[in-house]
Amino acid sequence: MTDQAMSDQAMSDRAVDRGMTAAAGERGRFRLGRLNVEVRREAGAAWRAFLTAASVALGLGLSAAILVAAGVPAANLVDELLVQTLFDGQNLHAVLFQAAPLMLLGLAAAMAFRVRFWNLGLEGQMIFGGIGATAVSLAGVGPESLRLPMMGLAAIVFGMAWTSVPLLLKLKVGVNEIISTLLLNYVAMNLLFHLLYGAWKDPRDGFPHSPAFAPFETLPTIAFDLSAALVVALAAVAFCVYLLARSRAAIYMRFVEASPSAARALGVPVAGVTIFAVLLSGALASLAGFVIVSGQEGRLTQSFFHGYGVSGVLIAFLARSNPLAAAIVATLMATLYVAGQNLQVFYAIPGAMVQLIQALVVICVAASDFLVRHRVRWVR
Amino acid sequence: MSKVRICALVALAIGAATPTVAQEVFKVEGAPKVAIVLFGPKNDGGWSQAFEEARPSLEKVMGATIPVVDKVPEDAASITPPVERFIQRGHNVIIGTAFGYSDTFKKLSEKHPKVAFLNASGITNGPNLESFYGRTYQSQYLCGMVAGAVSKSGKLGFVAANPLPVVNWTINAYELGAKKMNPNATVTVVFTGAWNNPVKERAAAAALIDQGADVIGQHVDTPTPQIVAQERGVYGTGHHRDLSEFAPKATQCSSIWTWAKFLGPELEAIKAGNWKPQPYGAFPGIKEGGTDVACCGSAVSAEAKEKIMAARQAIIDGDPIFAGPLKDRDGKERLAAGAKIDDAGLWKMDWFVEGVVAQQ
Repeated sequence: MTDQAMSDQAMSDRAVDRGMTAAAGERGRFRLGRLNVEVRREAGAAWRAFLTAASVALGLGLSAAILVAAGVPAANLVDELLVQTLFDGQNLHAVLFQAAPLMLLGLAAAMAFRVRFWNLGLEGQMIFGGIGATAVSLAGVGPESLRLPMMGLAAIVFGMAWTSVPLLLKLKVGVNEIISTLLLNYVAMNLLFHLLYGAWKDPRDGFPHSPAFAPFETLPTIAFDLSAALVVALAAVAFCVYLLARSRAAIYMRFVEASPSAARALGVPVAGVTIFAVLLSGALASLAGFVIVSGQEGRLTQSFFHGYGVSGVLIAFLARSNPLAAAIVATLMATLYVAGQNLQVFYAIPGAMVQLIQALVVICVAASDFLVRHRVRWVR
Repeated sequence: MSKVRICALVALAIGAATPTVAQEVFKVEGAPKVAIVLFGPKNDGGWSQAFEEARPSLEKVMGATIPVVDKVPEDAASITPPVERFIQRGHNVIIGTAFGYSDTFKKLSEKHPKVAFLNASGITNGPNLESFYGRTYQSQYLCGMVAGAVSKSGKLGFVAANPLPVVNWTINAYELGAKKMNPNATVTVVFTGAWNNPVKERAAAAALIDQGADVIGQHVDTPTPQIVAQERGVYGTGHHRDLSEFAPKATQCSSIWTWAKFLGPELEAIKAGNWKPQPYGAFPGIKEGGTDVACCGSAVSAEAKEKIMAARQAIIDGDPIFAGPLKDRDGKERLAAGAKIDDAGLWKMDWFVEGVVAQQ
C-alpha cells in the first residue's frame, strides 16, 4: 500500500469525527441532520469526467452571470463565447497557435511533479531554450537545411543544463527546489537582458532584441495554415503518453511519487529516476521556449516567456500530471484566452474582467477535485 | 516577473542617413473604422491610460465609438487574435501601443494591405503602417528647468528604466534644462532595468533622496518615484501623464502625452483619403502633438514659470535643445559650435552630457 493510500485509510476512519453540522445545528428546533465528508479511495473515470464537465459548466455559468450583469446581451453569449471561438477557422487557428507552447509547458510541469520535484523554473528554462536556439542562429552553425533541428537541439541542451542546477542543488545539498527554481528564473531573465542589451542587440536598429531569424530558422507553416509548433507539441504529448504507459521508468516514477523513502527501501534508483524526469521536464520547457522564439516571435525578445510558467504549473495541476489530459487542458486554456479577447473586442469589457472569468473556470475545476477525493453524505 | 516594455520607436536613424523615400498616399476601403489595442490596463495611470484619455476626442473626430482591447502583451500569439477579430468585424484602422508589437504589426499589415496600422513606440513602417513616438526630450527639458528652479541643493535625482536612446535623451535634456536655471545642477540617474517595477523604483528614489537629491525626475511607467518624493518632503517631476494626481505636493511638472493632438489629424487624413504614412515613422514634438508638459506646481515662482513657458515657445519655434557646442561627460565634443542634432543622432544617443552621473 502506498503512503497516500495508507493515509487515506486513516483519514477514512476518522471521517465520522469530521462530520459537519448542518446549518440549523443539532440544538436547533429543526434537526436537519449532518453533512458527513468521507475520504474515498477510488473515484471512477466516469465520475471524474462528469465532475470535470460539471465544474466547467458551473464556471461558465457563473461567468455568464457576471457578463450579463456587466451589460453583455445574454442572447448571443453562447454564440460569441464558444461557437465563434471554436468553429471559426481563424479563431481555431489562434487557439492552436497558443496551445502548442502551453501543451509543452503543461507536460514539463507534469513530468517533474510526477517525481515530487516542484519545478517552478519553467520560465527560466524557456529563456535558456530561447538563448540556445538563438545562439545557433547567430553563430550560423550547420547548413541551412539542418539549422532548425539544430536550434531545437541546442534549446534542449541549454534548457537541460540550466535545469541541472536546481536538480543538483536538491540532490547533493538538499536545497528546496521550490525556492531555487523560482529564484533562478530571475537570474535567467537578467542574463537574457544582459544579452539583449549587450552582445545580441540587433545591430540593424540598435534595439534590445536579437536580429530577426532567417526564413529557414523559423518554424514553417504546415498543412491548414498551422505552425509546425503544433506538431512538435503533439509529438511531445505522444512521447510522454508512451513513456508513462510502457516504460520501466514510469513504474519507478510512480514509486517515487508515492514515497521516495519507501521506493529507496525497495531498491528503486530514486536519484536516477528523479534526474531523468526533471531533465525531461527542463527539456520540454526549453522546447516551449524554442517554439515561441522560432515559431511565433521570429527572434529572441524580452518578454516571450511572460506568464507561461504559471500557466504550465496550472495545466499540470488541473490535468493531475496526466500528459493526455495536459494537452486537453492546454487547449482549453488557450480557448479561454482567445474567447476572452473576443469578448473584449465585442463588448469593450476590461481585460481584468476576462481574467476574472478565466480564474472562475479554473477555480471551479480545481475545486471539483475535492469531490473526486471525498464523498459527501447527508446523515439524518 | 515585471513587465518589460520599451517605449521606443522608429528607425528614424536610418531615415536620416538615406535619401528620403517618396511618401505614398494610402486609402482605406470604405468608411474608416478605428480600433485600439492597448499594452497595459486602460487605467494603468500612465502609458496606456494616456491613449484611453485621448479616445473620446478621437471618437469625436470619427463620429463613432472606438473599441479598445487592453492588457495585450507583446507576443504574436496575444496580439494577432484581437486584431484579426477587429478586421473581421470591419475595422480598417488599427492603433497599437507597444514596441513589442512592431514585428507582428508588420506581418499583419502585409497580410491586410487594405487596413491602416499605426503603432505607438513601434519600429516598423510600411505602405499601410506608421510607427510614432513623441519628442519627449522637449517636454523633459522643460521639466528639467522646473527641477533646476525648485531645487535648493542643485542635486537632482532621476529614476529611469533602461539605458536606451529614448531614455538617454530625456536624461540629457533634463540636465540641460536644469542647467538653464542653475548652472551647477547635476542629475544622478538610477536605472531600474524595468519599465514597471514599483519596488525597485521606490528603493531608487529613496536612495537618491538619501544622497541629497531634492527633486526626483523619472522615466518609468509608475508614479512611485513621485509618491516617494511626496513622502520624503521633496519635489518631483513626472512622465506619461500629469502625476500631480498621485503626489499633489511633490509633482511640479510632468512630461505628458498629447496623443489626441497627433492622432486627431492623422485620423482626419485617413477619413479624407489623403493619409501619407511616414516612411520612417512619425516623430511629433510639442508643436505637432505627441508630448507636452503639465506645468507648473505651486513651488515654481512666477518668474521661473515665465522663463519655462518662453522656452516652450522657443521649442515650438524650432529650438533643437541639443545644439553645439556640446560635450559629453568625458569631455568629448559631440556637437560642434553651431551644429544641431539630427534625428539619426537622437536615435543613436548612447552618451550623457556633462553633469549627468549614471552607473552606465
